[in-house]
Amino acid sequence: MSRRATSAGHRTEVVGVADNYAGLIEEVRQVNRHNPAPAPALNPFVARVNDIGRSAVGATEDLAVFLQMLGSLFMAIFGVLRRPRSLRLTSLVYQLYRVGWQAIPIVVLITFLIGAIIAQQGIFHFRKFGADSYVVDMVGILVLRELGVLIVAIMVAGRSGSAYTAELGSMKMREEIDALSTMGLDPVEVLILPRVIALVCALPILSFIGSMAALYGGCLVAWFYGGMGPAIFIARLHDAVSVTRFEVGIIKAPFMALVIGIVACSEGLRVKGSAESLGKQTTTSVVKSIFLVIVLDGLFAVFFASIGM
Amino acid sequence: MQETTPQFAIRVHDLVVGFGRHVVIDHLSLDVRKGEILGLVGASGGGKSVLMRTIIGLIPRQGGEIEVMGAAIGDTHDRNTQSAAGRWGILFQQGALFSSLTVRQNIQFPLRENLVLSDALMDEIATAKLEMVGLMPEDGDKFPSELSGGMTKRVALARALALDPAIVFLDEPTSGLDPIAAGEFDALIKTLQKTLGLTVFMVTHDLASLNTVCDRVAALADGKIVAIGPMRELLQSEHAWVRAYFHGKRSLMLQPKAS
Repeated sequence: MSRRATSAGHRTEVVGVADNYAGLIEEVRQVNRHNPAPAPALNPFVARVNDIGRSAVGATEDLAVFLQMLGSLFMAIFGVLRRPRSLRLTSLVYQLYRVGWQAIPIVVLITFLIGAIIAQQGIFHFRKFGADSYVVDMVGILVLRELGVLIVAIMVAGRSGSAYTAELGSMKMREEIDALSTMGLDPVEVLILPRVIALVCALPILSFIGSMAALYGGCLVAWFYGGMGPAIFIARLHDAVSVTRFEVGIIKAPFMALVIGIVACSEGLRVKGSAESLGKQTTTSVVKSIFLVIVLDGLFAVFFASIGM
Repeated sequence: MQETTPQFAIRVHDLVVGFGRHVVIDHLSLDVRKGEILGLVGASGGGKSVLMRTIIGLIPRQGGEIEVMGAAIGDTHDRNTQSAAGRWGILFQQGALFSSLTVRQNIQFPLRENLVLSDALMDEIATAKLEMVGLMPEDGDKFPSELSGGMTKRVALARALALDPAIVFLDEPTSGLDPIAAGEFDALIKTLQKTLGLTVFMVTHDLASLNTVCDRVAALADGKIVAIGPMRELLQSEHAWVRAYFHGKRSLMLQPKAS
């Protein structure tokens, strides 16, 4: 207040202040003298172009980080192939247990429900033109070829990918990763390789279990809602679905697992010192791996279509 | 690997480290003698930890050479650095214990990775190291999250000592400890240095521990070592920053009684 008065050209004086407050008044007078220079306002158009440029640079950076992680993973794999004893077996088994075995209940539940919903919708709409027996074809192809693996991959990205990012991120925050490298160990070999291998092994198994659960769900709905007995369902399924369909689905799983694992681990290593950055990287990791899984699925669809599978 | 410079444990020559355009370490040279305790002081954010992390290979440098026990240090993937890693122990500021392992497993970790030993022998070593740093053998089964700050530092020191290294790097070992615990820690470091002939490179702000344990003190300002020598010489240094550091209100206890 006194400062404003002074700047308006008046002389100010603070009177009648008790001694113990005088120090405080004096301290306040000392601080906050200089306002930081305001950031120069950019032309909105320039700012927008600037933003686009920044995100383009960010995207290439992301790609570089991804490729770098892929490269160091392969280096680690070659290292392990040369010295099989250096594979962290305990860690691998533990990670397999976590991302594989412990994920089974939730995967089964979700895919069961998805299968049931597809079958119900199919029967409801196909019945209008008397084609309800084709529901079996739809459920079979959709689940085995696309949805089974996709849904399981998305769930694994959300469940295990985020866990990987958070774990590695907090290790990075607590300098544990630095401690590892100063002991002459490669964090990729010790921490990341077992995690990614576990994911690559677990995802095909989970997709298989998930697909079976979805078919089971579809079968139950067809039986109770559509009045089609299990025997007929299985017979129709046998006609409609070839082994190729199933192969197409399951082949995608390890690649999706690799993408999820690499994204999760490299985002984890990008965590900076703060808890906020840990949360941010975990979110980024999940969003990015789900996005990449879907893009990958699209690429595979194009690929399989072109080779006629 | 031949020992080219037997009297020096660490030689840093003309080191430049920077992030982007911001140069943190500017043509710095520093020699650490074998068997001495060197204290490094400097302003907060002035590059002390950066210097230490560069020496141990965590931060890439832009120029200059680093030798630890006569072997040149590259980045962490370098074979030379990895073999040097067996000869140093590092205590990070926050301890950096592996949170998924118990205290005992933490101490055994460097042993397990570098040597082939029986479990019984490793347990024995871990217990010995625990007692060395003043902890009970029962503490070995705790997890890092169950430890107090002082205990974390002690365990981290035990882990740093697990391989009986020739050099120990300590990043603010006494920060966050009460004066009694800090004093004990200082005494511990001194004892270990005397008995094991350790070379200690210590980054610290703790004037008391600088005064009591360090053989020499190096002052880092503006990315350079501006003064180095025993505490007595540093107190007489004419460099403005060094004077401000050692002659401020908080350093009065360091002044010789006579003056």
